[in-house]
Amino acid sequence: MKSNMARSWWWKITALALLFFTYYEGFLGEIPRMPILNETIRNLYFHVTMWMAMLVLMICNAFYGILYLNKSDLYFDLVADESARIAMVFGIAGLLTGMVWANYTWGAPWVNDPQLNGTAASLLIYAAYFILRNAIPDDSKRARLSAVYGIFAFVMMIVFIMVLPKMTDSLHPGKGGNPGFNKYDLDANMRMVFYPAVIAWTLLGVWMMSLRVRIRKIEWKNEDQ
Amino acid sequence: MSNFAGMTTALHQYFKLVRHEVRLEFKNYHALTSLLVYSLATIFIAYISYRQSLDPITWNALFWIIMLFAATNAIARSFIQESRGLQLFHYTFLNPAVVILAKTTYNILLLSVLGFINLSAFSLFFSLSIHDWGQFSLGLLLGSFGLSAVLTLVSGIVSKAHNQAALVAILGFPLLFPLLITIIKFSGNAIQGVEWAINQPNFYLLIALNSIIVVLSFLLFPYLWRD
Amino acid sequence: MKKNLTLLSIVMISRSTAFAQEVEMADTMRSEGKIYVVVAVAFLSLAILSFYMIRIERKVTKLEKEMKK
Repeated sequence: MKSNMARSWWWKITALALLFFTYYEGFLGEIPRMPILNETIRNLYFHVTMWMAMLVLMICNAFYGILYLNKSDLYFDLVADESARIAMVFGIAGLLTGMVWANYTWGAPWVNDPQLNGTAASLLIYAAYFILRNAIPDDSKRARLSAVYGIFAFVMMIVFIMVLPKMTDSLHPGKGGNPGFNKYDLDANMRMVFYPAVIAWTLLGVWMMSLRVRIRKIEWKNEDQ
Repeated sequence: MSNFAGMTTALHQYFKLVRHEVRLEFKNYHALTSLLVYSLATIFIAYISYRQSLDPITWNALFWIIMLFAATNAIARSFIQESRGLQLFHYTFLNPAVVILAKTTYNILLLSVLGFINLSAFSLFFSLSIHDWGQFSLGLLLGSFGLSAVLTLVSGIVSKAHNQAALVAILGFPLLFPLLITIIKFSGNAIQGVEWAINQPNFYLLIALNSIIVVLSFLLFPYLWRD
Repeated sequence: MKKNLTLLSIVMISRSTAFAQEVEMADTMRSEGKIYVVVAVAFLSLAILSFYMIRIERKVTKLEKEMKK
């Protein structure tokens, strides 16, 4: 992944093409007719995908944290840092889009829902991650401590957003008792758009992250000279 | 065979460290008293702010919030109070994983005792009938366990970041959300006296969470001492 | 038994389709073709985003090459 992958075009073009596909199918594709949701079910392609992209970038953060602890190469810390940053961007996007959607389907921008609380908590966790990073001036120490915190935080977050919602009632589909809302999980038509949409947004996030990493590497080299 | 010998020395070190922590605490009991006064004062503030008996949900939430603050206060200093020389000794001659386990154990003991003191003070000011004392006490122990384990690792991280005490709360609170949600649900059920079968999933989740936390701090803590 | 099941499923399917037709969707907007206006606008904004991303990518690549020299 060091530089060949970051420089190659094919996956970036794929990301853009899939984004166009998402927008096309997102507005024109077939969707099931469901009460309450009506047309807003299309938000699945534009809101839920934000969370998926965030989740992938957070996995990236934890993964590069582990790599840093093993190899002590500051490059890994750079990738971990930047993926957490872009994860925050997607997380905030997901939170705002979700609030708009929730306002029209559940009647309030913020409802006491485990899924929602979990994602808000993960945003707080990564905010704390950046506060920790800012508190340490020394490069390698910052990398080490934030990797430890990031890995620990990632596991706690997974418990929060994957395990806890399964144990309580949720407005979100597929968790607790919410059968009426569950149907779109089974809709093959929507799934054929949803998965490409997740890939599209994730690739876009990875692209943004890799650009930031490359820019910061250039900055490093500039400082060295 | 050497593995076994390594295990026994590690165990030996572990018990020695726990004993050392306890002795240190009693030798300078100001810290202990201040901790006690801190939580009693907080409970009293809650009492004069509410001035009435609380419904079970509020009671439970308030109790755990006070526990959270007391725990943060108690554990934030666990790496700070040691002298520099002693720290150097610890981290050159002892296995760091043993150090974190010993510190965590000590903090669990401390917080459990503090939890029961808080509980008696709480039931003095806010009379409330807890239907199932056994379950509630179990919840108190499990909650103290989790709070101590998370906050000990966090204070280990913070002790390397120039010991800014406020950082412990900032870094620790978000990590404690899943634990707090589960423990409040568990002890809320205990207050209402629901059957064990209903509370059991929460119990297993707490056990799982606590084990994950301990395993993670065991694995991650050694990386903090690589100066 | 089997007959009962098929009967049940027929009843359920017919009920669900009857139910589905009652749900209000933006059908008029679609039949008037105005939805294509929305798609066109969305595509335009996406095209601008793509163009800009590619520009940044090119710029970073150029900078990297200059650093190598």
